[in-house]
Amino acid sequence: MSTSEDEQERELEALLELSRRGRAKVERLHEVLTTPGHFGTGATPCQVVYRENKLRLLRLLDDTGQPRAGRPAVLFVPAPVSRYFIVDLLPGRSFAGHVAAAGFDVFVIDFGTPTSEDRYADLPYYVDGLVRRSVRMVSTITGQPAINVVGYCLGGTLSLLYAALYPETVARLVLLTTMVDGDVQGGIAWVAHRMGLQGESYENPRLVPAAEVKSWFEMLAPGSNSLVGRLSDLWERLDDPAARLRDVRTMATWVDDVVPAPGRLLAELYRQFGPGRNGLMKGTSTVGNRVVELAAVRMPVLSVSAEKDAIAPPQGVDAIVQVIPHAEVLRLPGGHVGIVAGRTAASLWQRTVEFLSTPRG
Amino acid sequence: MDGKAAKDTSLIERWLEDQREWQKTAMAYLDSMVKNDDFLVHLGNAMRGSLLAGKPYPTATAPAAPPAQEAPADDRLDRVLFALHEMQGQLNDLRLTLDELRTSGKGSPSTMPATRPASVKRRASLAKAKPTSAKATVAKARTAARSDKRRKARG
Repeated sequence: MSTSEDEQERELEALLELSRRGRAKVERLHEVLTTPGHFGTGATPCQVVYRENKLRLLRLLDDTGQPRAGRPAVLFVPAPVSRYFIVDLLPGRSFAGHVAAAGFDVFVIDFGTPTSEDRYADLPYYVDGLVRRSVRMVSTITGQPAINVVGYCLGGTLSLLYAALYPETVARLVLLTTMVDGDVQGGIAWVAHRMGLQGESYENPRLVPAAEVKSWFEMLAPGSNSLVGRLSDLWERLDDPAARLRDVRTMATWVDDVVPAPGRLLAELYRQFGPGRNGLMKGTSTVGNRVVELAAVRMPVLSVSAEKDAIAPPQGVDAIVQVIPHAEVLRLPGGHVGIVAGRTAASLWQRTVEFLSTPRG
Repeated sequence: MDGKAAKDTSLIERWLEDQREWQKTAMAYLDSMVKNDDFLVHLGNAMRGSLLAGKPYPTATAPAAPPAQEAPADDRLDRVLFALHEMQGQLNDLRLTLDELRTSGKGSPSTMPATRPASVKRRASLAKAKPTSAKATVAKARTAARSDKRRKARG
C-alpha cells in the first residue's frame, strides 16, 4: 500500500470515528429529550395548602405522604422573578427536602407566573400581601405564632422587609444571597440599571417580558447570550452520561425559565434599593406607607453570600452586619445558584439546619 | 492484495453500517416528532443551545426596543382584575381572622392584623371597589362587643 493510500485510509477512519461520536451525541440528546424527569416541578411530594392569585403555598410531605405536623415550621421564599423549584430541585439535591428530612415542617412559596394584570403588583402587594398571608397561613396550620423564614435572592429582600414589619411572627431568618447594599457595584441591579430598569414606570407599568429579564442575567454570564456559544456548550456537554445530562436539563429548565416581572415592582425596587438609592442601608425604605425599621429585626439572622456570585456580589450581601449587627454572616465558595442547588450545596443546607435547630438563647 | 481488499471491504462495511445507524437515529427523531408534540419544542430549544423543558426558549427582544414600552391604551380591565386579586387576599385575611376568632372563642385579635397600605386603598378605589366594608363591619362589631363587655363589668 502506498503512503498516500495509507493517509487516505487514516483520514477515512478518522472521519468514521468523527461520525460515530457525533451520532452518539445526537442519540444521547434524543434520549435526554424524551426521558421524563423533574423539569419545571419540585422533587419532593407536597400538597397545596393555600392559593392566591398565581401564588401556591406548598407543604412538603414525608415518605408516607403525610405532612410533618408538630415539627418547627420553615417557610422558603424564593425570588418572584424565577421559578420556585430551585429550592427543591432533584431527589437528593433538594434544599427544602433536606431541611424537611432534618425534622422541620417545610412550606415553599411558588409565586407562579405573572400575567398582564400583575404588572400593577408592587412591594406592599408582595410583602404585606402574599408573604404576610403565607406566613399567617403557615402559623394557622401549624399553630406556631412565630415561624422560621428562609428567603433566597429577591425572596430574601421580601423576607427581610417582612421580618422588619412583623418581627413577632418570625422565629429565625435565613437570607441567601440577598443584596443589602445597593451601592456595591456589579450584580443584577447594576446590569438592570444599565439596561433600562430606571426607565420602568411606576404609574404606568408594563409586564416586563421574560426574555428581557433573562437578558439581564445573561449579561452577567458572558457567552450565555450568544447562540453559537450556547450551542457549542451543549454540543460539548453531550459527551456526558445521560443521567448527568438530565441533571443539567433540570438546572437549564430553571435557569432558562425566567418569568415575566411586574414593572411596578421593579420600578419600586429600583427607586428604593437600586444604585444610588440604597434604602436598606440608609434606613429610608418603605412598604406602602410604613417605614421599614431594620432595628426591629431582633430575631437570629443568618446571611449567606457566595464568593463567586455575579448576581448578588458578596460585599453587597455581607453589608447586612452594618444595619443588623447581630446577623451571622457566612460566605461560601461557589456562585449564586451553586451554593443553593449545586454539587457543593450540602454545606449550606447543613449550616441552615444547624442554625434553625439552635435553641434561642 | 487479498489482505488489502479485506481491509477495504471492512472499512466500507463500517461506513455502510454507520450510515444505517444514522438512518435509525433520524427515524427515532422523526418518530418522536410524530408521537410527542412537546418533542418539537424541546428540539427547538436544543437548537438554541438550551435543554429547557416544557416551554419554548424565551425569545430575545429586538435590540432597538425601547426600555419601557407604553402600556396598553385601555388597561381598565387589568386594573379591575388586579384589584380583584387584592380583594381576594383581603377576603382571605378576613377568613383567617374569623377562623382565629372561632378557634379562640374569646374574640382575641389576630397576632398579625390585616393591614391595608394607603396605596392599596387608592388602587381599590380606582377600581370602584369597596373591599374594606366587610372588614370594617367586623372591626365595628368587635369594638361594640368590647365596650359592651366593659359596660357589663362596670355595671
